[in-house]
Parts: sequence; structure tokens; C-alpha cells
Amino acid sequence: MADGLSAIFLAHRPALLRFLRARGAGDDAEDLLQDMWMKLEAKDLGPVADPVPYLYRAANNLMLDRYRSATRRERREQDWSENAGGVMADPVEATAIDERMIFNQRLEQVRAVLRALGPRVELVFRRFRLEGVGQKLIAEELGVSLTTVEKDLQKAYRALLALKQKFDTE
Amino acid sequence: MLRKGQNENRAGAMIDKEALDWLVRTRDPDFTDWDGFTLWLEADPAHGAAYDALMVADSELDSWLPAEPVAMPVAANDAGPRGWRPLRWIGGGAVAAALVAAVSIGMFTRSDIYSVTTRPGEPRTIALDDGTRVELNGGTTMRFDRNNPRSAALDAGEAAFTVRHDAADPFRVTVGDDVFEDAGTVFNIVHVDNATQIGVSEGKVVYNPDAEAIQLPAGRGLAEDAQGLRVMAIAPEAVASWRQGRLIYANAAVAQIGQDIGRSLGVQLTVAPGAGAQRFTGTIRLDRDPARFFAEAAPLMGLTAVRQGDAWLLKEGDGPQS
Repeated sequence: MADGLSAIFLAHRPALLRFLRARGAGDDAEDLLQDMWMKLEAKDLGPVADPVPYLYRAANNLMLDRYRSATRRERREQDWSENAGGVMADPVEATAIDERMIFNQRLEQVRAVLRALGPRVELVFRRFRLEGVGQKLIAEELGVSLTTVEKDLQKAYRALLALKQKFDTE
Repeated sequence: MLRKGQNENRAGAMIDKEALDWLVRTRDPDFTDWDGFTLWLEADPAHGAAYDALMVADSELDSWLPAEPVAMPVAANDAGPRGWRPLRWIGGGAVAAALVAAVSIGMFTRSDIYSVTTRPGEPRTIALDDGTRVELNGGTTMRFDRNNPRSAALDAGEAAFTVRHDAADPFRVTVGDDVFEDAGTVFNIVHVDNATQIGVSEGKVVYNPDAEAIQLPAGRGLAEDAQGLRVMAIAPEAVASWRQGRLIYANAAVAQIGQDIGRSLGVQLTVAPGAGAQRFTGTIRLDRDPARFFAEAAPLMGLTAVRQGDAWLLKEGDGPQS
């Protein structure tokens, strides 16, 4: 790892700690940051174009993973207690076909929701979420303002997250 | 207490709205405002929780997002060849025919956005479905949206807009990151390189209504370039005068006039640096014959025009032509 990143890491260490704490790391913030830095160092990335945002993004992803595994654990425990009391059937074949059907139906619903938002919103969302294109570039491509792109993305997310919530409760 | 519950709901909805805002922002590969994000997180522990929940929900969307919007699901046992098949964006693009006026139509990634480009010296008029008329000067590229006749984007060049006004649904022109919104209007926009100039001859235009919201009534112009943003008084009759075969200037740089001439007449014109910095006030009559045009226009500006093959050079001095 370049010494440059190391120096930048040290300079931004307090701010990164503050970020991790704000992000809900609590007393683990110091350990998490140290751990993250050691992993980054081990990766030997060479020069990083935008080191500060890069460090923050790594920290943000770290907290996201933490949250994810915590909720997964919670869910597992919940599933366990629910299943323990019921009769467990074993319809492996049946669920496979069922799941594919449900999957295709849901895919269609997602398409319909995206289409209903209008072509620009769909295009903006697609470029951003599936192709990973930055918002500024999307705005330039379409000849609209950055604010418009942001609003389009919020619209698309709102609609899709609402649909997902419906899926989850089905 | 009932009211308290309602307030809590409202606060929760507010946090979700803000969390979504931050999701959209932080997911942008170019996001840099981590300090601002930290401050928001610190304001309330519920903020981070809402953000995490949304981020996870977002990543779980992956399994539902169709890779191609109109690719029909192919059954796994489909007998057909499994090779690449052309996929179209929203049902394909029978669009081109709609635009007779266009010199060339470039399809962008979407079938409902079309682009119109005019060659230098070949202005065109486009009538939009809503009754608005857009006159493109030569050397101009614009984009329009088939689904929304109340919007247009000027990518390069010059265009005059005669807008059918509808207060409920204003007409919007996007130029780079800027938006001009009509309020019952005839106006002209020039966009060359990174400089934008607008002149309003009737009604009113609002510059970036969602940000600066600068009101430009008739007789007002706005310029945005490397020197920043300026608002100035202009002669309404000078706006889009190219449509009447005239170019009207008040204290304009000759470099800019050179660009206007090239665009309007379709001649290749170079302006020598010394000449380009000079200022001109007056009216230049456009003439399709370059030799006749320059013979009249160059002395008017106190300059000399030199023919160089098919191209022309405007330079200082009114001495004998070399």
C-alpha cells in the first residue's frame, strides 16, 4: 500500500472514527477501523484516485455488512422458533416450480412498476442502479439537471421499495 | 395520546424520506459529502437504522431487477439457439419518421428521445406537438422528448423559442446543467463550448427555477461562462434577429460575432485573436453570398476579411487585402 494512503488514513482517522460511531459502531469503532485498515493494507491496492471518499466508502460498507449479518442472525433465530413448533413438510420438488413461477411474476411486477414511472425515470434508474453510472454523467447524457436525476432515482426507489415490502409480506 | 402517535408516524416518514435521500446520494460513485452524512447520522440514532434498512432492502432488489427491460423470459428448455438476441429498449424505436425537418437524427439510448442537428448555414424550424415553435440556427444540436413536448435540450449552437404558454405546464429548455423555464415567451439561447447566453424578447423566462430562479423579463439577457453569471439589458428586437437575416449587437466581442456568422451563414470563419477581442455595436445584414457579405460586414466592424480557399479570416486593420 502506498505511503500516501497511509498518511491520509492517519490524518482522517478521527473523522472516520466519528463516522463509524455515528453509523452505530459504538465502542467497537476503534477495533473496526483498525481491522478495516489492516485489510486494506493487505490488499495492496496501489495508488487510489480519491483516497478520502474511498476510505469512507469502505467504512460504510463495513457497517452495512455488520448490519446485514446481525439481521440475518435475527431472522434465522426467528425462523427456527417458528418452525420448531409447526409440522415440517418437505416439498422440495413442488417449491422449486412454485418459486420459479413466483419469481417470474415478481419480475413482471417490477418491470411494470418501472415502466409506469415513465421512460426517463426508468432509464435513469437503470443506468444508475444496474450499470453503476454516476449521477452527473447520467444528467449530462440526458441533458437534465443533477437534481432531476436525484429526484428520478428517489421516485424509482420509493416505488420499488414499496413493491418489495409487498413481496416480503406476501 | 392520539396526536402524539400521529406525530411519531410523521417523524418516522420524514426520517425514511431523508434516509432515501442519503441512499441515493451515497450510492453515487462520485459521492464525497461524508461529513454532511456524518452530521445527519449523529443527529438521531434512528437515522442510521433507517439508512441501513433501506440499503439492505436496496441490495435485496438485485434478484428482482430485470437485466433487460423487454427481454422476455426464455424457458430453460427452449429449443431455439441460446445465442445473443437483440434486445430493444422499450419496444423498439419507430421514431425517425416523425422528424422530417431534421438534417440528421441521432438515436440515443431511448427511442423517445431524438436529436436534431443542423449543418452550419442551414437553419430549420421544428414544430412541437404542443404548438411551440423551435427555430434552430445552423450548426446546432438539440434533443427533444417524444413523450414530453414541453421540454427540449440545447446541446450546442443557437435556437429561438416561440412557446405556447401554459402556466400549469411550463416549457423547459435544458442547457448543460441549467434550466430555462418559460412564462409566456419568445426567447433565444446560444450555447457554444461552456458559455450560454439567453435573450428574452417577449414574456418572461425563469433561469434555474429550482435553484437561482432568476426572472428574465423581455429586454433582459443572461450570460453564463468562465467569468460567471451575468444579467444584462438587451434590445428585444435584437433577440434571435438571425431569423430576419440580421445580427444585432451592443458592445459584443467580435469573437462571438464570428461564431454567430459561421453558424448563420455556414461559412468557415476564423477570427484573428487581436480582432476577436474588439467590440462592436450595430447591425450586420446577413447575405448568403460570403464575398458580398464580408465586403460589407468587415469594414462595418473596422476589420479586414481575407478569403482562404473556402474559409475566411477576419483580422485587424482595413488596409489593402493580402
